[in-house]
Amino acid sequence: MTDDRRKKRSAKPPEPSGAASENDRPTVNPPFDVEAFARFASGPSSPQHGLPAAEAPTRRPPPPASPPPPPEPAETRERQITLTDEAELEAARVASLRSDPPGPGRASPLSIADARAPSSPSMPVVNADRSVTPTSIEAAVLGAIGSSRAPEITERTIDDPMAEMRERFSLGDYTGALEMSELILAEEPSDLEAAECGENCRSVLEQMYAARLGPLERVPMVVVPRTQMRWLSMDHRAGFILSLIDGSSSVDLILDVCGMPKLDALRILHELVQQKIVAFR
Amino acid sequence: MEKVIGIDLGTTNSCVAIVENGVPTVIPNRGGYKTTPSMVAVTEAGKRLVGHIAKRQAITNAENTVYAAKRLIGRKWNSPQVKNAVATSSYRIVQGPHADVRIVLREKEYGVPEISAMVLQEMKVIAEDYLGEGVTKAVITVPAYFNDNQRQATKDAGEIAGLDVIRIINEPTSAALSYGFGKNVEKTIAVYDFGGGTFDISILEIGSSAVFKVIATAGDTFLGGEDVDARIIDWLVQGFKEEHGIDLRQDRMALQRLKDAAEKAKCELSSVRETEVNLPFIISSGRNEALHLQRTIDRKTLEELSADLIERTVDICKQTLADAHLEKDDIEEVVLVGGMTRMPKIQQAVADFFEREPCKGVHPDESVALGAGIQGSALTDDKQEMVLLDVTPHALGIMTQGGYFEELIPQNTTVPTHRTKIFTTSRENQTAVKIVVMQGESERAEENELLGEFILTGLRRAPKGTVEIEVTFEINADGIVSVHAKDLETAKEQSIEVTASSGLTREEIKDMLEGAKDYMVERRSTEEFEAAKQEAERIVGEIERLFPQVEQIVAASDFGRDAIEKARAIVAKARSAIAKRDVGAVKAEIEGLSRTHRMFKGVVAKTH
Repeated sequence: MTDDRRKKRSAKPPEPSGAASENDRPTVNPPFDVEAFARFASGPSSPQHGLPAAEAPTRRPPPPASPPPPPEPAETRERQITLTDEAELEAARVASLRSDPPGPGRASPLSIADARAPSSPSMPVVNADRSVTPTSIEAAVLGAIGSSRAPEITERTIDDPMAEMRERFSLGDYTGALEMSELILAEEPSDLEAAECGENCRSVLEQMYAARLGPLERVPMVVVPRTQMRWLSMDHRAGFILSLIDGSSSVDLILDVCGMPKLDALRILHELVQQKIVAFR
Repeated sequence: MEKVIGIDLGTTNSCVAIVENGVPTVIPNRGGYKTTPSMVAVTEAGKRLVGHIAKRQAITNAENTVYAAKRLIGRKWNSPQVKNAVATSSYRIVQGPHADVRIVLREKEYGVPEISAMVLQEMKVIAEDYLGEGVTKAVITVPAYFNDNQRQATKDAGEIAGLDVIRIINEPTSAALSYGFGKNVEKTIAVYDFGGGTFDISILEIGSSAVFKVIATAGDTFLGGEDVDARIIDWLVQGFKEEHGIDLRQDRMALQRLKDAAEKAKCELSSVRETEVNLPFIISSGRNEALHLQRTIDRKTLEELSADLIERTVDICKQTLADAHLEKDDIEEVVLVGGMTRMPKIQQAVADFFEREPCKGVHPDESVALGAGIQGSALTDDKQEMVLLDVTPHALGIMTQGGYFEELIPQNTTVPTHRTKIFTTSRENQTAVKIVVMQGESERAEENELLGEFILTGLRRAPKGTVEIEVTFEINADGIVSVHAKDLETAKEQSIEVTASSGLTREEIKDMLEGAKDYMVERRSTEEFEAAKQEAERIVGEIERLFPQVEQIVAASDFGRDAIEKARAIVAKARSAIAKRDVGAVKAEIEGLSRTHRMFKGVVAKTH
């Protein structure tokens, strides 16, 4: 991938309702430096401070050294990258957790629209009515962030996706790092570092979703009556996973037979459980 | 006396049976089903799936799921059936090192008998779990038209699976055994076998003293219930396309669900007049909304969709009767075998053709396995008298000048047998002749199966057509074919014994057998661990449920606190053993856990 092509990538800031999708990104403990992150999020040196939380997103000026990007036709969604730093992500996450009741853009309690893993074709993950049980580190981070004002959400051009990937990985944003790695691999399939990072992210995310689901030998059951099923809001991938839940197949078995990447399947199953469409025996 | 299992190794489903206390019984698998899909798959993680679990992911993991391996077993790479399979199968079929067929799953090559062995191994495990003891001997059924190589390949599959295959018997014979079990019948019967992947029609004579003889057999190896499923899928896909403009075939997940639903609807329509196919969220539209498929299909529609398929089976029946020089009146009973024969339209078609109501006294899915079980029991029980007369499933002969096939032993000849014919030289001063031994029904030699070849040398130099060579084919009671060629003038002789080959060498079979053994050791070990783990976790759960009550009761005393600490330590040790996947340690901890649980229950019970 050439630098020029990398520089072309830019993204629009996420809409407030879109924060819910970021909220879905699992936060992982190692190698996450909680204290540093908390200081960064609440400290006076934070560049985002002083701005009202509800202020409309602003465009961050391009670096002085960079030439102004040439005018381009409207970019496709696939080429757009929503780029925020971890503090922004967490702020959005906290905001979404606080927001009550759900806004018009959020899914209904029975909704599992577009549940998919980051490796899937781009569709925003809507996580409605999610009950989050933060880990102790997550709680510490959320506490630190919660006491501070929400930072502004900005857009910036990705100058160096590789650096972005490394940064996100180091911050424990494995979903974001995986997105970056897939972006890099889409243009440079032989990039070993991106491939390795992607694999690592996938592995960590799989472990996280598996941990959230509990022992994989448990047998899930559909708890929504069959007659109400069609009124749920979900995509066909979730519908497929749902069709495999027969009350006798374990999560392990479903993962074996679903034929989709393990991470995607785990995420969808997790969503189904969160939405109370599926429960365990 | 060691038990002998009977296995119906089917194209789409397999079944295992045994005779217990004189009663033939089909053994259900762990899921409670009496048949197990003959499917093998390897997942992305390298895990082997066999049976129902493999079937459930057959379309979403199509490249790595083998179905209908039976169509390939024992066949040569250049056979038309293999070419057909290469063109139509979703999994990769490649040429093996001995002109045989190999299947590639996740970049690893497997011999076809090796794949069939995985299914047989599963059937063996089902029987062992049911009987609670090891099983090593089996009778396996094959279609009556299987040639020697296919039969040998099936035997090899059994060997790889750790089974001593004491007899291979023909499927229609097996069904007839099941039909005639406990009866004293002397009849000519037709076995109409319409299964998931193949159709076969066989005419048998059941004689006195329980003698079973196949008179004629024919069929279509690419005609079965799956073709009917495909018609239902087409109907559903077409309807959906007309409604929404979306082709569901483009999405594998949708297709997997359609396949399952089509099969289910087909089965239901055998007992009800209409059924609903309801597949919510079958596909997402371009507008980010999921669409549902909901259609009602009735029996009449299904009959219209499958009419030509049913007609094809009737045509084959007609041809088989003609080949056997039999009239419909000669058939005294028609036995229906195979799941498709549950379809009322098929029963009607059979009744119309044979002009008699078919017998419904045998179970369509189980009769073949039951017959194999009966045969297995008879082979190990001297008191049971049963004679199965084998016939040659295909004609045997040699290749003659111009690439023609000269038949010596016709198809369906009862063995043992021998036939002789005189041939002459075709060239001036010809001093040697090549005897090419073949099996098949085609007049063109190239279309038949090559069994072996040898050269008879030292012939007298003479004008063409003057030297006479006597060729004798002999098939002994064990089915071994030997061919002799003799120069009648000099009495010089050459011969060959045709030994069937599955396409695998002894070394390969040995290696595969070792691999299968290793797999079983690992599988049993995993199962043992899982069972111990579940038991340990169950008791841990019970203990944890009682902890608060026990703590409240005994917290006041030092002894009580000490007991609580010990209990916590036992639970921790058990968890640690589970985490390390140490089956021995988990089993050892179960005893301590049980003791603790009993103690906790006692404490709680005393206070109530």
